[in-house]
This record gives sequence, structure tokens and C-alpha cells, in this order.
Amino acid sequence: MLNADKPSDEELVRLVQQGEKPVFATLVRRHERRVYWIIHGILENHADSEEVLQETFLKALQHIREFRGESRFSTWLVQIAVNEARMRRRKYRSGLYDSLDEERDPDSPFRPRELADWRPNPEEEFVREELSELIQRAIRSLPKNYREVFLLRDGEHLSSEEAANVLQISIPAVKTRLLRARLMMREFLAPHLKLRWHDRMLARIQRRGRSV
Amino acid sequence: MMTCEEVLRELSNFLDEELIPEFRAQVQEHLRLCRNCTVLVNTTRKTLALVADLFVAELPHGVSERLIERLGIH
Repeated sequence: MLNADKPSDEELVRLVQQGEKPVFATLVRRHERRVYWIIHGILENHADSEEVLQETFLKALQHIREFRGESRFSTWLVQIAVNEARMRRRKYRSGLYDSLDEERDPDSPFRPRELADWRPNPEEEFVREELSELIQRAIRSLPKNYREVFLLRDGEHLSSEEAANVLQISIPAVKTRLLRARLMMREFLAPHLKLRWHDRMLARIQRRGRSV
Repeated sequence: MMTCEEVLRELSNFLDEELIPEFRAQVQEHLRLCRNCTVLVNTTRKTLALVADLFVAELPHGVSERLIERLGIH
């Protein structure tokens, strides 16, 4: 029975598996944005990301009968997307580039430096495209291993266990890389979003309880 | 009393609400007294909110239509 309000992904998948191919369009609409931004986070350019997005959904449709519901549909889809994006990346870049992309000493403690408070509503100050470009630049600044974990956990909202399965790494590795990625993202964005000098002074004076 | 380093180590678990209540209370107590860690927690939370917005952002023009066309399910 279909839930009339909002059928689950798995209910829709069952219909597609039974031959109702047009139902797949609903799954596409539900997932295309997140899947696109994950691929874009890995490949860093639009034209390749669009092609890989198409290949991901094509592959999912072609292999839909192999989906047995052992994971969520979204996790299965993301697994295909990450594999396709990695293959595309390897096609264009040598292994040397990838190794240089890694952070030199991942185990050294990360010390946040930018500890000024941020302006309350950057969404209102920036044009939407500017803010989106800034976030994309921050994601691109992450070393590859951290970036993939970050995209899956904080972009697609997979659990640590699901992300570990997709990336074939341990759950503690997911957690370590996620923390580092979040701190690096924050550090990248801070200079753009922190309170301006005069606002900081004002806040400091107010904290001390002095009248201005 | 938790140190700043311990709060930093638990930052992800705190934001994801994966700490046991006792630890969570300890982090909150530290935040009540430490301005730097409060800024760290708030700005990291804001970072994640901005990223979440990107992931539901409109796709570039025409991507969605071309995808459906390529799949042959329009």
C-alpha cells in the first residue's frame, strides 16, 4: 500500500522495480539536488558534475532491481554517485595530484584561530549566489579525504555508519575527519563572516557593562 | 570542569547531540563560562546551517530537465 501523503523512497523503488519506470522521476526530484552538490563537491566543476549526475541516475535506474533495501535508497544512490565521481576525477588527475591533496599531518591537533563572533545574518547581507559560491570555495579548500566525509555527513546527512560504509573506512575515521573538516570549514568562512571591527568594539564595551 | 581542548574534541558529538547527558551538561557548563568556546560552537553550528542551505539550493539552469530527458522518463 502506498502512503497517500508521501510514499517512502523504498515504496517508490518497489514500483519502479515492478516496471513503473515513470515513478523514478519522483525519486530523481527528491534526490537530485543533494546528489548534484556531493558530486560537485568532489569534482569542482559544473560540466563534469552534470554528466556524472546523469550517469549516477542512469546507473541507479538500470540496476534498480539489484537494490534490496539493505540500506536506505539515498545511501545506495550516494554510493553510486561517489564511485562515479571518483572515477571521473581519476580520469583527469594523476595519482600524484591526489596524494598532494592530502593534509600533511592529519593527527596533529587543530587549533581554531578565528574566534571573533560572526555577524548574525549573513544570509541577508550577501546575495544568495555570493554566499553559495563562498560555501563552495570553502568545501573545495578541504583536503579530499575530509571533503568526502564532510559532504556525506553534513551535506547528505548520512549517519557516521552509513558514511563509513560508502567510503569503506572505519566509523572512528569518519568522526575524526568530520570534526577536522567542520573546523576547517569554519576557519575558512570566519574572515568573511565575522563581525566587523567597530561591531566587535561595541560588543566588547557592552560586555563590560559600560555605557557607550 | 572540562578544558577547552576537551570541548574541542567533543565539538562534533555535542553538535550532533550524540553525547550522554552527563557529558553534555559538562560542555554546557564550560560554555557558560568560556566565551571562545561559545563562539566556536555557535559559528561551527552556523557553518553547518549554511552548508545545509547549499545542499537544497536550486540546480544550475536546465540541469534537472536534461537529467529527466537523458533518463527517458519524461
